[in-house]
Amino acid sequence: MSGPLCDLLPSGSDPGNPAALAGQPAEAALQWLPVLTTFEAAVRASGMSADLHDGSGVTILAPTDDAFAAKFSEDDLDHLLVADKDKLRGLLREHLVAGSLSLADLVAAGTVTTLAGTTVTVTGGGATARLADQADTVCADYQVAGARIHIINHVLGSLPTTGGEGGHRAH
Amino acid sequence: MRDRRTTAILSALLAASLAAFAGPVPAQADPTEPNQVQGLTVAQGDGYATLAWTPVDGATDYQIERTPVAADDTATGPAVITGVWRPNRQINNSSPTFADAGFNPGARFQWRVRARFGTTAEAYSAPVAGTTRAPWGDPAVPGENLRTQWETTLAAQYTSDVNEYAYTAAVDELSDRVRVTEIGRTALGRPINMFVIGYPTPPATPAAVAATSPLMVNCNVHGNEPGDREACLIMARQLAFSNDPRTLDLLSHTTVLIVPTINGDGRAANTRGNSTGQDLNRDYSLIRQPETFALVRMLRDYRPVAGYDGHEFGNSSAGDLPMLPPRHQNVAQSIFDESQHMIEGHMYSQGAKDGWWPCPYGCNGGGNVGLSEETILRNTLGLKNVVNSLLELRSSGGTTRPDEGNTANNRRRKTFSALWTFQQFLDYHRANLKEITSARADAITFQVSNTGRIVFRGSRPIPAYPSPHPGEAPPPLDAPRDGQVLDQAPCAYKLTEEQYNGERTDGPAGQRTTVAQRLAAHGHKVVKVADGYVVPLAQPERGLIPLLLDGQAVEKLVDAERVYPTVTGERSGQLVVSGVTCLRDATVTGPVRVRAGGTLIATGSSITGPVDAGGAAGVFLTDTAVEGPVRVAQSSGPVVIVDATVTGPVDVSGNRGDAPLVAANTVTGPLSCGGNTQAPDNLGLSNSVEGPKSGQCASL
Ligand SMILES: [Zn+2]
Repeated sequence: MSGPLCDLLPSGSDPGNPAALAGQPAEAALQWLPVLTTFEAAVRASGMSADLHDGSGVTILAPTDDAFAAKFSEDDLDHLLVADKDKLRGLLREHLVAGSLSLADLVAAGTVTTLAGTTVTVTGGGATARLADQADTVCADYQVAGARIHIINHVLGSLPTTGGEGGHRAH
Repeated sequence: MRDRRTTAILSALLAASLAAFAGPVPAQADPTEPNQVQGLTVAQGDGYATLAWTPVDGATDYQIERTPVAADDTATGPAVITGVWRPNRQINNSSPTFADAGFNPGARFQWRVRARFGTTAEAYSAPVAGTTRAPWGDPAVPGENLRTQWETTLAAQYTSDVNEYAYTAAVDELSDRVRVTEIGRTALGRPINMFVIGYPTPPATPAAVAATSPLMVNCNVHGNEPGDREACLIMARQLAFSNDPRTLDLLSHTTVLIVPTINGDGRAANTRGNSTGQDLNRDYSLIRQPETFALVRMLRDYRPVAGYDGHEFGNSSAGDLPMLPPRHQNVAQSIFDESQHMIEGHMYSQGAKDGWWPCPYGCNGGGNVGLSEETILRNTLGLKNVVNSLLELRSSGGTTRPDEGNTANNRRRKTFSALWTFQQFLDYHRANLKEITSARADAITFQVSNTGRIVFRGSRPIPAYPSPHPGEAPPPLDAPRDGQVLDQAPCAYKLTEEQYNGERTDGPAGQRTTVAQRLAAHGHKVVKVADGYVVPLAQPERGLIPLLLDGQAVEKLVDAERVYPTVTGERSGQLVVSGVTCLRDATVTGPVRVRAGGTLIATGSSITGPVDAGGAAGVFLTDTAVEGPVRVAQSSGPVVIVDATVTGPVDVSGNRGDAPLVAANTVTGPLSCGGNTQAPDNLGLSNSVEGPKSGQCASL
């Protein structure tokens, strides 16, 4: 486990600690990571849970809730989750890479290709890596059944940005 | 404005109660350093610890430091700045307090506070230590030992739908005080449950609950704002099993209604809207969706007199707890005033005592929020004469709670701040029930009188609280714009058969409801006439009806025909009503006779002579004086006699429509009722009757 956010996630013997997630399928493990509620809901809404434990393993680049809020307005996010499932699946594939790759594997590879077909550069090293020159891993290397989860701070892919600060939805 | 008048008194009481505070002995620092905080105390609440200290002259702000400690008070982890107190937190800067929260309840800590002058930090106070209150309920006592998923996972997970239903069923089964009732289903078929809680048992029927002037908390309308819902589930357990005198006293005097999850589909999907993408808090007037329809029907049947509606708010510089009353200008003044009093007169004062930071919605740089849409529950409730407030939980820690990068800390602070608010709401209701019910009575008599203009959109102003403000800015003025005011209110609206019973295209396919069903769910009185349906404004939700039925309304159901008064001014001789006759501010010298199938609507009028209606389609007699007997018998439709002054007897019998409304009247003769298909009701507004009250009206 590495990255600045790891200390702020369930640890030690707390429910949801990394060791407790080790044997779990990815879609179950995601439910224990409190910064991934949007990503986790997106996986369920898209019907792609099974894609997260493909026989040959998968790498999950999971953007935080803050990253989703910065990327999409609340309305757009609702629309993705409720109505536009094709677009949602496309978005999720931008965050999945075939093979269960550790942070070190990613850095060593230098580039990876997502299930959406997009080539993503990986730079940096040590505790974090930078993806596509825009997303940093903030807590990497959750090992779950057949997959690695790396939490990142930016949504990947080419959908337009509609979120951000200032647009406080009224109650 | 009850709120502002009582503030000084409350502040004085607050100062006195703090002076008499008998909690832990204040920490003494010796020797004293310059500008060092003195007199620090800590008091434990549910999920928070209130720190209080003596202010340092000239301090800009204060930092609150928390350190985990063992039983012997040796540190077991690093000290962390968990809070920043700023003068805009509370209405009395002379007694600063801070509700530290976010920690795992039950842990032991040491706290210190230091003043800052600009960026210069002064010396820390001497420390105080304390063990925080463990999650409520003895782990060895059945019922008390129930815990939600959110609690058992230490806030790593929210309580799922499945876990909510199991927990709810267990509370129901183990507590005589609780009945869980399903008020409807979501679009996807999830049950929408409501806790009905009373002591020793809750009243058996909705009408019996209504008679206890119940209060309601709506916990989770936006599925991606789950903090209030967790508080509601914990509070339900406290109310169900706590035997402390306060809880028993509260539950002995009223019934608590808690709707934990109206938007179960959105909660499960983590979306703001429901499964169709509809924002349910833009649908409480139109009730296109099954969720809002269910809640509105529940309001009709259970009639809460006060409410809170829980949300979370993305503005990171707002207070802990932004609140707002129903502001729509069609809401009766008394409801607005009493709601403001609940917020400013109670929550602001109690917040200053316990260290939470309620503030007007918007609060700091809030933007264009908190307006007059009647589709929002806050306003819908106000238009239904319910004293109520919006509650927001600031989503992020913001600059005043810098230790919420840990999501669990953030979730706990939000949920326990909501729990504090809802418990305060119960206390407010208990202590102010007379004022609340009197505001409601004033509102109902105002609404049935159908006086004053109609505003389609536009709010009452929320003036800034006198300095020091809790927060910097109230929400925008939001005055009615051109074209959003109707100076001459119609007497009624008339709908065609197609408008009333025709199929709708709004709402989820397969679950759509007609206008007839929606008006019935609201409890609006409708008269069937030969060529359509008439909805008089002389009824308790007068302010809401034009927003649904007028062509000028911003979000209407239909563009119905305005029906204007037919009789105004002076009139002599017998008045015979066969069609729809509407009296407004009329003086009729002579008897009024409503023929079979006729409809009489009279407001603000005076009738010298008897009123006799036999077999009418509908009779509405409000804010009107009648000399002579009033007899309303065998009507096929609604009967509304409210705030009438009758010299002589009143007889309401054999009517076949919904329960006749006989409320707030002054009658010099007897009031007798019998043989009505549904017994007459007074909505809790008793009649002043000199003669005997008998039959179905004996207790009205
Ligand atoms: Zn909300």
